[in-house]
Amino acid sequence: MLENYLPVLMFIIVGLVFGALPLIAGFVLGPRRPHPEKQAPYECGFEAFEDSRMKFDVRYYLVALLFILFDLEIAFLFPWAVVLEDIGLFGIAAMGLFVGLLVIGLLYEWQKGALEWE
Amino acid sequence: MEQVIFYLFAGVLLFAATMVISVRNPVYAALFLVLAFFNAAVLWVLVGAEFLGLALIVVYVGAVMVLFLFVLMMLDVNTAAMREGFTRYLPVGVVVAGLMLLQLIVVILSEQVDLIGGLIPEPSAEVDNVHAIGQVLYTAYVYPFEIAAVILLLAIVAAISLTMRRQRPNTQRQDVPKQLSVTKEQRLRLVQIDKKNRRHTSDT
Amino acid sequence: MSFETPDFSLALPEIWLLGAICVVLIVDLFVRGSRRSVTFFLTQAVLLVTAALAITTQWGVTETTFSGHYVVDPLAAMLKATLALLVVLALAYTRPYLEARGLLQGEVYLLALFATLGMLIIASGGSLLTLYLGLEMLSLSLYALVAYHRDSRQAAEAAMKYFVLGALASGILLYGMSMVYGGAASLELAVIAEAAASEEPPLLLLFGMSFMLVGVAFKLGAAPFHAWVPDVYQGAPTPVTLFISTAPKVAAVALFLRLLVDGLGPLHETLQPMLLILAAVSLLLGNLTAIMQTNLKRMLAYSGIAHAGFIVLALAAGTEAGHAAALFYVIAYGIMAAGAFGLIIVLSSAGTEAEQIADYRGLNERHPILAGVLLLLMISMTGIPGTIGFYAKYLVLKAAVEADLIAMAVLAVIAAVIGAFYYLRVLKVAYFDRPEVPPEGSQKPTGPNEGSVGEGEGATPSRPDGAAGTVLVPGASLPIRALLVVNGAAVLVLGIFPERLIALCQSVLGAG
Repeated sequence: MLENYLPVLMFIIVGLVFGALPLIAGFVLGPRRPHPEKQAPYECGFEAFEDSRMKFDVRYYLVALLFILFDLEIAFLFPWAVVLEDIGLFGIAAMGLFVGLLVIGLLYEWQKGALEWE
Repeated sequence: MEQVIFYLFAGVLLFAATMVISVRNPVYAALFLVLAFFNAAVLWVLVGAEFLGLALIVVYVGAVMVLFLFVLMMLDVNTAAMREGFTRYLPVGVVVAGLMLLQLIVVILSEQVDLIGGLIPEPSAEVDNVHAIGQVLYTAYVYPFEIAAVILLLAIVAAISLTMRRQRPNTQRQDVPKQLSVTKEQRLRLVQIDKKNRRHTSDT
Repeated sequence: MSFETPDFSLALPEIWLLGAICVVLIVDLFVRGSRRSVTFFLTQAVLLVTAALAITTQWGVTETTFSGHYVVDPLAAMLKATLALLVVLALAYTRPYLEARGLLQGEVYLLALFATLGMLIIASGGSLLTLYLGLEMLSLSLYALVAYHRDSRQAAEAAMKYFVLGALASGILLYGMSMVYGGAASLELAVIAEAAASEEPPLLLLFGMSFMLVGVAFKLGAAPFHAWVPDVYQGAPTPVTLFISTAPKVAAVALFLRLLVDGLGPLHETLQPMLLILAAVSLLLGNLTAIMQTNLKRMLAYSGIAHAGFIVLALAAGTEAGHAAALFYVIAYGIMAAGAFGLIIVLSSAGTEAEQIADYRGLNERHPILAGVLLLLMISMTGIPGTIGFYAKYLVLKAAVEADLIAMAVLAVIAAVIGAFYYLRVLKVAYFDRPEVPPEGSQKPTGPNEGSVGEGEGATPSRPDGAAGTVLVPGASLPIRALLVVNGAAVLVLGIFPERLIALCQSVLGAG
């Protein structure tokens, strides 16, 4: 069973090498002539006006939260799709109720205007 | 081979977890948490809990971490102030952690607890993990499964009721039907220009 | 694959409530109206039907369904009816207070309905998984309700503390459950009980049990897991505090009865010392700290911890009589707490919050009926004969003595005597202290024996607007005042005729 994951492991290793190699190559091969002016932060030619970290609006958070909820729903759909033939009508009804409840949630979101961006 | 992989990923997991609580920049901490989740997912796959491993990546790495990053950005945290209590509470923390470690060691070493090959059955070789979960989740465990759906619905209601309270007055919003039903008269104004004087008479 | 199609008719109360929640949710979305009358009355009707369904379909039935995840027995039927009725009582107080503060929205009732569903699930929980999910549903609703007054810093702080500590407690509970699963190889409580009853129960069960106890004690608000109680009681909007102090307490006892009696009952000998420590710490800490409070909501929070101590003591007895005493006590506490917080709601108007004890000076002169209700509630919480609080304490002490916990019973009596001090102090303020005359600068007429009461920060109501001696004007409408009077009378009537309720509690737990 675990053999199936060998390609995944290969991918991880290849990905690591692929990401690390250019960095190392640049570090080793590139010319390095440091200068304080090069290090200075700027935006469009000016000195930076403010800290780049600023407060996000709370609505981003709401979007992310709603995304998690529906992402979880998807996670429950995977095993269901795999065994659908075994569990028959009962399984379909069970998932129907599950999705139905979340459809009500979606309706609620929609009507409350949580899906709109002002 | 399997053991080598285990120790490799467990090592990275421990490293990432330590970094989560020790790096200064909270965004880096969140990214190290992603690394920790990945490694934990690999460990789960190694013991045969494939579905949980994949769910960890899909749900936690994909969604929860996005939320964490949003929260971090939203809070505008003062990292220096957050670290103030660190040394003060360190001894207590060490004592608590030590106690928990001790408990775990007692449990693992006790003769009554046969962790290897105990009561928990070995993962079956014929049915893979996702099938096994699917076969019980929607039948024998249908009651908890539906409760989970209700909790998700509750989470939607709670999140929206806490964040969407008032309509702010000065926000611009798109009203698509209004945009589509707009007529020429609402957007276009014809102005008569006096040709002789070549001057605009921009009366209404 | 051996799978039986579950018998859905057994779970009728939950199915009805879930369907009704969806209907209320949709109705609330589309019905306009600032007073939320439709949502409110629909919610109350739904809860009443739920209680009726629990009695009619589940009373006298003992069965399990949903592959052991769902248990029906008389205990479940009684718990569900009690829970639904307590929620009806709690919600009945909510409207004027919330409306005056611009918080009256359909979501309050939706969240309360979700919390009720979670509590019903706990009452019928047949496996670790359902109990945990029910608890999470309850907790999640409560976190949102506590945070509901978004613009109040106090409420936000309370919600934050509640959430962080609650999540920690849930995590510990879950950790314990995972150990129990490891020890018994099943999530089903019946199977776990078999494993626990074996000659040499697995050590993992004992470990898991102590972790689970932490989670339950947190929900019950027993010391030393009480840290959230004072802040949440004080910081949350008063109707939410009222809600939290009634039905969820019953649900916590239900959780204990399912998890640690149905599941791990055979291990009671190991559990008892831990429970006794919890009880002793709760009784002493709750009562001693309550004496120092000047804020009535906070004082009631510490008194709630002390009451939790009594409940834990009853559970520590480990007998059927003890369990019945705990159930009776928690119901009695729910009625008393609903009355006490209801009184605060009634006396709070749009601008003021009647939460300082000093605000109650001279209540008797201005509102003798409300002062009478306060009198009844306080002597009932003290445990003076003739009130429901007396029988609650009496049953607990009787169960403790019968289980040879005489030292603990003595300690509980001492704690109750200490407790009498702060309950009676509130009455003294309401009956014998004069209200301060606001502008004329005349000193508060203090009798010689009154000097020490509420000294320091308690002497003047610490209000942001600085108006000393605020005169409380009841902001609630007549029906709600009438409800409060009925609630107060219930304390008395049930105190004079407690036999039916006691017999009911005993019969569902197989005692007497």
